[in-house]
Amino acid sequence: MTPLTDEQIDHIVADLYAHGIRLEGLRDNLMDHICILVEEKLAAGGDFEGSYATVIPTFYRRELYELEEEALFLESLRGPHVVLSRGWFFVLAFALVLGPWLTYVGQWWFFQRPMGDIRSSFEVIGGAGVFDVFPLLIVCVLFFTPNRFDPLIPWGSKILLGLKPLIRVLPMAAA
Amino acid sequence: MVYSTELLKGTLKTIVLKLLADNKKMYGYEITQRVKELTQDKIQITEGALYPTLHSLEADGLVTTETEYIGKRVRKYYSLSVAGKTRAKEKVSELASFVQTMTLLLDLKPKAI
Repeated sequence: MTPLTDEQIDHIVADLYAHGIRLEGLRDNLMDHICILVEEKLAAGGDFEGSYATVIPTFYRRELYELEEEALFLESLRGPHVVLSRGWFFVLAFALVLGPWLTYVGQWWFFQRPMGDIRSSFEVIGGAGVFDVFPLLIVCVLFFTPNRFDPLIPWGSKILLGLKPLIRVLPMAAA
Repeated sequence: MVYSTELLKGTLKTIVLKLLADNKKMYGYEITQRVKELTQDKIQITEGALYPTLHSLEADGLVTTETEYIGKRVRKYYSLSVAGKTRAKEKVSELASFVQTMTLLLDLKPKAI
């Protein structure tokens, strides 16, 4: 069997990249597999372009990028995930973002303390919570949630999170 | 008769792990061919299913890889890690138990050998 030339291999690699295959390991695997199949067709008397054009569609249903999507999806299923119903998402968002702020305002309203009062530590902690916990929530969502799940969270809330929709919502979630 | 994708979906990891347990190291194309050969073409693993699965097994630390260069070509060989060997046994035993349960459920009698 005649092996493919370096130019033909470069062509395959470039084409895989152009079709959205960015994971190096996956690209190497696909390249090797495609090379074997194309070489088989060449041995049967075909030409490179024709053989390649016949082989490549057998790897996917709609787009070659599906393979990379699937690989990334399977990888994202490892480890813990944030799994929240829509109702619990709002409860959490309220508790983490609005809770400390309301504590701060409430303390000031009821006790009428002057600014800088040592007893205002609660307020300080509450205020810091707004700026510390909120980013922490975003980081947790980013790291632990597979982004393939389509969230049922309204657009406004996605903006509230400040990032892409990343909360997984259970289908049976009771809001 | 080639089995449907739906039937194979949940068993692909087990198939790959078992093959790697029985063979020291294998590469993607070799896995697809071995499955075809062992099942007399009844099970044909598509590349679209195999490579994402191998990628996932690697990310889970169940397989280790070894790279061989053939000119400009890169061939990735997969072999089971220690955790992969344990998982392969678990998965095979789970699937065997599942098949037994399905046999009971569907009231199928095993063919006499």
